[in-house]
Amino acid sequence: MDIKKEKIENFTVLKINGRIDTIQSSVLENEVNQSFENGEKNLILNCKGMNYISSSGLRIFLVAKKRAIALNGKLHLCNMQPSIQEIFKISGFSNLFKIFETQEAALENKQ
Amino acid sequence: MGSEKNKKYIIENEVEELPNLAEKIEKLGESWDLSQAITMNVNLVMEEALSNIIFYAFNDKKKHEIEIYVSIKKNKLTITFKDDGVPFNPLSQQKPDINLPAEERPVGGLGIFLMSQIMDEMHYNRQKNKNILTLAKDI
Repeated sequence: MDIKKEKIENFTVLKINGRIDTIQSSVLENEVNQSFENGEKNLILNCKGMNYISSSGLRIFLVAKKRAIALNGKLHLCNMQPSIQEIFKISGFSNLFKIFETQEAALENKQ
Repeated sequence: MGSEKNKKYIIENEVEELPNLAEKIEKLGESWDLSQAITMNVNLVMEEALSNIIFYAFNDKKKHEIEIYVSIKKNKLTITFKDDGVPFNPLSQQKPDINLPAEERPVGGLGIFLMSQIMDEMHYNRQKNKNILTLAKDI
């Protein structure tokens, strides 16, 4: 798994590539924590290249969301593959996140 | 079609075994002609069940073998896990409330729930000194 970081307007975009599993979820956790600690409170997680997620990965998403809410920031998701969307749906996570079809749509959403 | 397919894996109680096993499951999916979605679900169920066993089933620091059986018979996919850890019935776990807002959602406790949602059936048995967890799904 690898993560590319990019700043666009007032968002920090993290592009996730690969598997978010028990072994590798800490890579995402560290990147998200780093961003929050840098004062970047508006995050977009671009999930285009994310082809697998387990409960240990979902945990990172939830913790990030809680932190964004506490900081009055934003945590948007975009470009999610259908099989991953299904996992978000059955775990009730579809209701917790704004999931946009494109990164542009996520950037435009100011709410 | 119609023929029975069986595969057995044995891993040690080390979390580092999981990526190896995931690769083997990818290959199994190809040779059994499973869709990518089914293969991903098999891998997800494997990871959730096995990480639970590896992290929580053993109080000693000894090596333990965990047996994994995968089979397809008449379009029914069955996955069975056997471990000699402390008795643990995953079906007795409380289901998470998936309708809570993010602020109130507890962190964790999703692994067993995910398994139960992905698969159609889930059975637990304690036989002799072993936990036997069986999951099945029509594919």
